[in-house]
Amino acid sequence: MSANNARVNAGGIRNTKESSEWDLVLTRVFDAPRELVFRAWTETSHVAQWWGPKGFTNPVCEMDLRAGGKLRIHMRAPDGVVYPMTGVFEEIVAPERLVFVSSALDGDGKSMFDVLNTVSFAEQRGRTELTLRARVINATAQAPQYLKGMQAGWTQSLDRLGEHLASVR
Amino acid sequence: MMNDRLSETFGALADPTRRAILGRLASGEASVTELAGPFAMSMPAISKHLKVLERAGLIARGREAQWRPCRLQAGPLRDVAAWVEHYRRFWEESFDRLDDYLRELKREDARNKNLKTKVKESKHVRKQRKG
Repeated sequence: MSANNARVNAGGIRNTKESSEWDLVLTRVFDAPRELVFRAWTETSHVAQWWGPKGFTNPVCEMDLRAGGKLRIHMRAPDGVVYPMTGVFEEIVAPERLVFVSSALDGDGKSMFDVLNTVSFAEQRGRTELTLRARVINATAQAPQYLKGMQAGWTQSLDRLGEHLASVR
Repeated sequence: MMNDRLSETFGALADPTRRAILGRLASGEASVTELAGPFAMSMPAISKHLKVLERAGLIARGREAQWRPCRLQAGPLRDVAAWVEHYRRFWEESFDRLDDYLRELKREDARNKNLKTKVKESKHVRKQRKG
């Protein structure tokens, strides 16, 4: 395989000093003021409404919003499977920056992977540009399988929704 | 198994020097001396980084006694890319929901404001009537 191919297969994203194809960098502009978007990320009553893929609910959503404070979210997939995660806040600069480590837990409550997440909120004339950078600090052998299973959970639920909509039409 | 190395792969990728070495190798194989060129680092220090990369399966080294060129191995990087892709989808989905949720909040906010203005207006009207 040529070196060029290897590079494309590694993710095909530009490799810069701050980021590379081995980190996740996501940017999204939300049509809401920065204060509101920041609150939506840091108040549990809000977070529980949107965290996780479509169709998921969050029966447990707790946050101790201070540096060193813990967070705990149990995501419930549409098929009933619960995916618990915990985390620790590293940095909170309202309303611009939120840094936290998130850990997905297995059945015994052991972490399967730890990810350092840095979320920045930039004001854009009433809108908010949000950037999420995620870097894996630790991952066990089950980690890819876990995410794959979770994804299957939500893709299936979307398929079911599609079928349902088709049947009522 | 590829997956068993995932943690080792991420560990190897966590270091900026090792990332830079992989970046260099993406444009073709190179000798240790060539790789050490851009870094203010001793050869033993560079060798140490190369060993970590080799153990993680990210690079392979030629068997030629003298030169032993380093080459990028795409396999583990593909695993990492697949993992990142799964994680990206998780967040894309969450962001879609956040987007919807924020719209909903704004609509509610606008409704409440509307209501307040109406209440104010009606009070104003009552006052005028009294007066």
